Amino acid sequence: MWPPHTCRQEVAYTSSAMKKTIAIVEDERAIRDNYAAAFAREGYAVRGYPNRRDAMSAFAARLPDLAVIDISLEDEPEGGFELCRELRGLSAELPIIFLTARDSELDAVSGLRLGADDFLTKDLSLAHLIARVNALFRRVDALRRPTEEKQVIRRGALTLDSERMSVEWNGQVVLLSLTEFWIVYALTKHPGHVKNRQQLMDAANVVLDDNTITSHIKRIRRKFQVVDEKFDAVHTVYGMGYRWVE
Amino acid sequence: MSRFIELLKTGPISGFRLRTKLLLLALTTLALPWAGCQYAREMESVLRESEQQSLLAVTTTIAGSLKGRQELLFRADSLPGAEGNNSRDITPVVLSGAPVIDGLTDEWDSDARNVVRVAGPGSDSLQLLAATHERWLYLALLVHDNRWVFDSSEMTPLDSETIGDRVWLAFDDKRGGQQRLFFASTGPGPVRGRRIETLEYGRESAVEEPRIGGVWQRSRDGWVLEISLPLSMVGQHLGVLIDDRDRRGAPRASYGTLEVSDLRATGRLIAASPDLNEHLRQFAQPGVELTVASDTGAVLTRLDAPALPGDYTRMRGFLPRMYRLFLDGGAIPRSVSQAERERSAQELTQRAARGKPETDLFAGRYENSVIVAAAAPIFSADGKRVIGVIQLAQTADRWLTLRDRALTRLLNLTLFVTLFAVGAAFWFAGRMTLRISRLGAASETALGREGSVSRLLPESESRDELGDLSRSFSSLLGRLDEYTGYLRTLAGKLAHEIRTPLTIVRSSLENLESESTSDNAKVYIARAREGSERLGAILSAMGAATKVEEAIAHSERQRFDLGALVRATVAAYGTAFPNRRFACEVPADPVHMSGAPELIVQMMDKLVDNAVDFSADGATISIVLSADENQAEISVANPGPPLPPEADTRLFESLWQSRAETDTPQVRLRPHFGLGLYIVRLIAEFHGGSARAANLPGDSGAIFSVRLTRW
Repeated sequence: MWPPHTCRQEVAYTSSAMKKTIAIVEDERAIRDNYAAAFAREGYAVRGYPNRRDAMSAFAARLPDLAVIDISLEDEPEGGFELCRELRGLSAELPIIFLTARDSELDAVSGLRLGADDFLTKDLSLAHLIARVNALFRRVDALRRPTEEKQVIRRGALTLDSERMSVEWNGQVVLLSLTEFWIVYALTKHPGHVKNRQQLMDAANVVLDDNTITSHIKRIRRKFQVVDEKFDAVHTVYGMGYRWVE
Repeated sequence: MSRFIELLKTGPISGFRLRTKLLLLALTTLALPWAGCQYAREMESVLRESEQQSLLAVTTTIAGSLKGRQELLFRADSLPGAEGNNSRDITPVVLSGAPVIDGLTDEWDSDARNVVRVAGPGSDSLQLLAATHERWLYLALLVHDNRWVFDSSEMTPLDSETIGDRVWLAFDDKRGGQQRLFFASTGPGPVRGRRIETLEYGRESAVEEPRIGGVWQRSRDGWVLEISLPLSMVGQHLGVLIDDRDRRGAPRASYGTLEVSDLRATGRLIAASPDLNEHLRQFAQPGVELTVASDTGAVLTRLDAPALPGDYTRMRGFLPRMYRLFLDGGAIPRSVSQAERERSAQELTQRAARGKPETDLFAGRYENSVIVAAAAPIFSADGKRVIGVIQLAQTADRWLTLRDRALTRLLNLTLFVTLFAVGAAFWFAGRMTLRISRLGAASETALGREGSVSRLLPESESRDELGDLSRSFSSLLGRLDEYTGYLRTLAGKLAHEIRTPLTIVRSSLENLESESTSDNAKVYIARAREGSERLGAILSAMGAATKVEEAIAHSERQRFDLGALVRATVAAYGTAFPNRRFACEVPADPVHMSGAPELIVQMMDKLVDNAVDFSADGATISIVLSADENQAEISVANPGPPLPPEADTRLFESLWQSRAETDTPQVRLRPHFGLGLYIVRLIAEFHGGSARAANLPGDSGAIFSVRLTRW
């Protein structure tokens, strides 16, 4: 339907040296260009790559500030995962977002395990995507600054830094994806209040179906349980939603 | 053959089960005993034929040895044939032992052919029996007489005033003279023949003849007179006459074989030569009765059959009797009386007397026993005249025994074979039917309701046609499986494929929105966005089943209280659907079970969605949880239209929508492709349960029940 194009060169959409650079690795040119236009409108410098080889050769020369990666890239159905692994090898801090048409649980788990900061499906609107990108940049910036206490929420064993988007449990860091962080943030803002699925989705700037919310909650619980086996603060209220219990 | 197969297909047995058909086919082996019977009959008739032939050969041989030897056949004085046939001829039978002269005739081997019968006045009659033994002639007169009148004991036997019943005996003597004697008695007992001699002065006297004696006795219906006299006294002719009187001195009524007027004997005495038996004895065989008759058919002598070693012993028992009944079927005459047997023998003799050897079969003394007889004429020296007939009779018991034994063995064997064949056919048919029905059942259940196909069929290892059938079923099912697999994943694949262009459309629209556009353009953009939203909803609905399957695959079981879950969930529905009322019935005690609570909630969501869709505003949807030790059941009932009739089984299948969907905004926003109930079923099955649907009593609505195993 869409003829494969032969774009091998790095495509620069804006050229301001001071702007933050976002790399989009996406084999579908129309999507890539649309995303690029949206990011450019927000004032980011955008570079698009159609496949892993082009992206890696460019990244080797210069790392972007953030990478948005599709999983299947031209002839590599799992090329995005491979790229993510290589990129993580280059930089531990670089925010990576998977943006893909594949929405299976397995793909999400694999992507997040490879060190991606978020796993998004292409259902997501551009506005939501941009909100996430902004949030991730904010986190990166916050990590570079000393902690400001007012941004920190403490709920018993939980310490949540909304600026850095980091979570600690009993002083131990719990590594959450952006979506997971926002869900935890929404739940802990008003402990004991039931948050329904819609509220959680809104908080996480994401549109998800019931099962995906459920698996996010499950993942969150599991991540906390890694640092504390007895973790049981996220309660399911059947038919309603979830709540944080201290 | 093809007609036979056609008959099997359409004929009267086409409606039978396979087992019955095969059984009927096996019964055709019953033709074996029938064929065996036919064979046995054939064998029997061949045996009989050969027996008859050999008997005939022996008979002809003996007849040949007697050819022209008239002197060996008849005693010298009696030369038959010259005067033709005469009803007054007396042919004595040669007896093997001398009869006791006592007025009783039991020991006489009387033969119908040799009895001379003479009718008297009224019902009176005379039967004259004659026999010889060695040099003696014996006569027995069996007289039917209602009144036996004795002579007066005081008077002489010649006093005509007082004489009673009288028997005259007259014969030629060797010198050509006539001898006349009479027997008279004053009572039962020994008598002597008396000759009337004329003495001087014309006085008559009755002189006793010492050589001619007898015994006169009363019998049941008259009297019997047994007489013995030396054969040497008698010439060619001999006869008896009875003077019957109603009282002493009454006028006589005479009847007998003598001329009444002059007491002359006209009937011949045709007796066998004394050497005949000696000659015949050399031909005697065990079991063979030998009879020589004169050309008239009267028996001259008879050599009784010496006892047969190993006489016909009938096979006993139920089966042999059945076989005999089945076999003989009238082919062999039944037992007959002595008289009838003798008549048959006489007929045979008479046939042979016409000049040709004959054989015949007639019934023997016992039931089903048969006598084979052969008769051959004895010719005179010139070969032109038949001077006698020789007849051999033999019981056919020997070959009857043989036949019976062979048949019984044959029939037992075929019966056993038939039983075995029927049994084998029954077993085979049973096994075949079992295999076929197993295959049938497996192929019926191979196609699961959700379209998944199990390819493992029984019999696929067998090398016969059923194995072939099973294998072709398997390959068919395999192809079906691939096809249904393709169909099942089609929606998901399609959704995935469409998602990319949809993303292009959506992201383009979103970019367009941020450009400065006219108000008109904004309206169109909004419409295009709305359209792409709906497309997106459709896509996620299409992939919903796959997502649920995935979610189920990743589900972990945990213990939870189903009662609390149902109660909480129903409470939440109250706010989610303000236009419906919800009635909830949950046991007071906790219903602990192991499972995935999120899935149960999702399942209930689908059921309640469904109930809400098909009920009117303000309707009450009732949700009931019941549980026993092993199972829990959640049922959701709503008033509304009843289920369509075919829905019961198909309702829970994927992509099946029965009830006409109204094009409501709600449906437009949340399309479900009939996946809701399919998801319900998937979740129920994950919990070791099942889902079913039914109409409420009076078709006032529908009830959906899900059964879960509590584990």
